Amino acid sequence: MPVITVTQINKYIASILKNDRNIQGIMVRGEISDYVRHFRSGHVYFTLKDSESAVKAVMFASTASRLRFEPEDGMAVIVSGSIGVYERDGAYQLYVNDIIPEGAGKAGAALEQLKKKLQKEGIFDTAHKRPIPPMPKKIGAVTSLSGAAVRDIINVLSRRYPIGELYAVNAQVQGEGASESVCKGILKAEAAGCDVIIVGRGGGSSEDLSAFNTEKVAYAIYNCKVPVISAVGHETDFTVADLAADLRAPTPSAAAELSAPDITLLYEKISILDKRAEKAALAILDRCTERFIAMNAKLAVQSPENRLKLTGERLTALDRRRETAFLRYMDRLERQLAEKAARLDSLSPLKVLSRGYSLVYKDNKLLNSSEKLKKGDRITVNFGNGGAEAEITEKW
Amino acid sequence: MKGKATFEDNITRLGQIVSELEKGDIALEKAVELYGEGVKLSAACREQLDNASLKITEDSGNATSEE
Repeated sequence: MPVITVTQINKYIASILKNDRNIQGIMVRGEISDYVRHFRSGHVYFTLKDSESAVKAVMFASTASRLRFEPEDGMAVIVSGSIGVYERDGAYQLYVNDIIPEGAGKAGAALEQLKKKLQKEGIFDTAHKRPIPPMPKKIGAVTSLSGAAVRDIINVLSRRYPIGELYAVNAQVQGEGASESVCKGILKAEAAGCDVIIVGRGGGSSEDLSAFNTEKVAYAIYNCKVPVISAVGHETDFTVADLAADLRAPTPSAAAELSAPDITLLYEKISILDKRAEKAALAILDRCTERFIAMNAKLAVQSPENRLKLTGERLTALDRRRETAFLRYMDRLERQLAEKAARLDSLSPLKVLSRGYSLVYKDNKLLNSSEKLKKGDRITVNFGNGGAEAEITEKW
Repeated sequence: MKGKATFEDNITRLGQIVSELEKGDIALEKAVELYGEGVKLSAACREQLDNASLKITEDSGNATSEE
């Protein structure tokens, strides 16, 4: 037979325990005793016992710091964790993840299971969450009509959203049959045509929230055709109603505020629309005016008046051209005339006469020979600067 | 019809009018007509808000369980 060491034994036992699902991830009911929180490390050590036996338990500082209450000796609790071996001492113990007080413990454990189940079934999926309508016509409230919750909702909506309508369905929020009553209320609000439904109760953390921690209510919320706002006032723990709802509000008043816009926003919205309408209308007017001006300009160019003016202008220009052309022409004529006159002057017979020649006429006809003259004929002699009558006395 | 239109009807229609005006490619006459309608709607909306008071319907719920 082989000889083995103590360490080998403890390691072997540890591996066996670790692989045994019956003692891994378990919940154990018991009573706390010898509770110690180690001063320096923050680890928590205690013994969990029932009427017959006890087991050592340890909770490390990292998880112990997340406890929402301080455990103490004598407290009945449900502990979740796993069995492991403390090899140094050869002792098995309970390694604790969480401690739930037994009062709420039983329900708590069941609730954790329910949450896990619903989670798996997709009831809490954020993908399924619907937005709250921006301007609901009818807001449903499923709660006790004799409670504070409905009064708070009425107050908030009267002040913030008087334009809306509240459909308040009475529902029993605690005690026997409460969850059925809440489910029915949700269906009624939905049937009444509400476009958002507030489900909840007032009162706060000390109240009984079990009606809102049921599968029925979770499914009623999940299956509701319109968005649901949960208002199950509880600060730390979310109920399954909260988790299934499309939106979670810490109180009924807050739920009312989340369910509808404030009236001042509505006034603002109208103002904004007013301004946009005005701006758009003015832009259209501007564009039409511009087009009119452009058209009008085009039209003006074509108007008879304008054409007359243009024609007149052209006429004036032509007239001016004609005038200058005429003047130039006259000038040229004058110059030509003067030249010709000068040339004519130099050829004039009168000029010849001034050099001593004379012109002889007979019967007003210029004579260039004495051939036709006879004795006794009367002739006229022109000297240029004067003349004389003469009679022919001799001819040769 | 105006008397029956809800606030939401009115403000929705007002929004439509604004969008249509903002498109811009409409005749001036139509624009004037739409703008006029918008002014009326906006006034109606304000009046509705001014005079609004929360309408409350109470449903006794489970008291009548045969529903």
